Amino acid sequence: MTDGPDTQEMELQGLPKMQTKPTPGLFKRNPPIAGEAEAIERAKNGDADAFSKLYALHKRRVYTLCLRMLGNVSEAEDMTQEAFLHLFRKLGSFRGESAFSTWLHRLTVNLVLMHLRKKGLQLVSLEETINPSEEDAPKRDFGSRDPQLSGSVDRVTLERAVASLPPGYRMVFVLHDVEGFEHNEIATMLECSTGNSKSQLHKARLKLRELLRQPEQLVPLDTKEAVQ
Amino acid sequence: MSELPLNLNIDTLTVPEFKEYLPELTAAGGGKISEDARFAKFFAEHPECIDLVRDLEAIADAARSLFDTPAHEPADSVWSNIASKLKQGVTDEESGTPEPEAS
Repeated sequence: MTDGPDTQEMELQGLPKMQTKPTPGLFKRNPPIAGEAEAIERAKNGDADAFSKLYALHKRRVYTLCLRMLGNVSEAEDMTQEAFLHLFRKLGSFRGESAFSTWLHRLTVNLVLMHLRKKGLQLVSLEETINPSEEDAPKRDFGSRDPQLSGSVDRVTLERAVASLPPGYRMVFVLHDVEGFEHNEIATMLECSTGNSKSQLHKARLKLRELLRQPEQLVPLDTKEAVQ
Repeated sequence: MSELPLNLNIDTLTVPEFKEYLPELTAAGGGKISEDARFAKFFAEHPECIDLVRDLEAIADAARSLFDTPAHEPADSVWSNIASKLKQGVTDEESGTPEPEAS
């Protein structure tokens, strides 16, 4: 994607470039929002009200993405703030070659990953560094027939289960299954192999299956945060 | 229909092999494994495997719906902080020092 956020800046900071080809799924999932294009152009020219509108349009998605990746309200709010400040600085480089929300999500993911690296979480090797402990890992034995999930998974319960995942599993699951990034993109972002990304995603889904079978044991989400 | 890994022979497939190949199969795309006719006989013989696959597919389907339903809203203080920093001139997150005004 030639319009990717901060590719030059990320490279300068030792982070790999994001993939340059567009991700069709993300275009489909990010249809234009009424009034957004005009607000972007006005905000590029320094219109504070227009930037406020962009915040109002995208705050939930950006904050929810941060919260899902970080699992922590305070950090998620800090990163949301950083993402929009970064957006303000970089908005002039948005040329509209990708959906704005796709661009903003990528910018946010990059910032969250940089934040995690600064915190000392090494993302170089998922297997060695953020693989969960044995007790967190999904049970691999499925020789006996367990009760199936009901066929559809309740959204709120899934949110709670995702929040209960070990960080490494949660990261790959959110990036792939929720945000729609491809394994090769995740591998680039997390500096791991695509095979590693696939393996982590599979383990995440297995762990979620375990968690969803015992929803009563899941920690409730902060009800003040949830928007019904 | 997804391409099968080169070493996979469905006619002789065992449960441990299926388990080993499952991450690759689910990542391959090209439709749901649970609906792939090539696995129908294997699933009929190993119902625990089709149960697992259907559950994992249900989880992936539900995850996609999360994207469209951002469930959380940041506190009002987040925008207050952003607005305040914008008024002061945007600060650099690395150094905490104000960036120069654009010329």
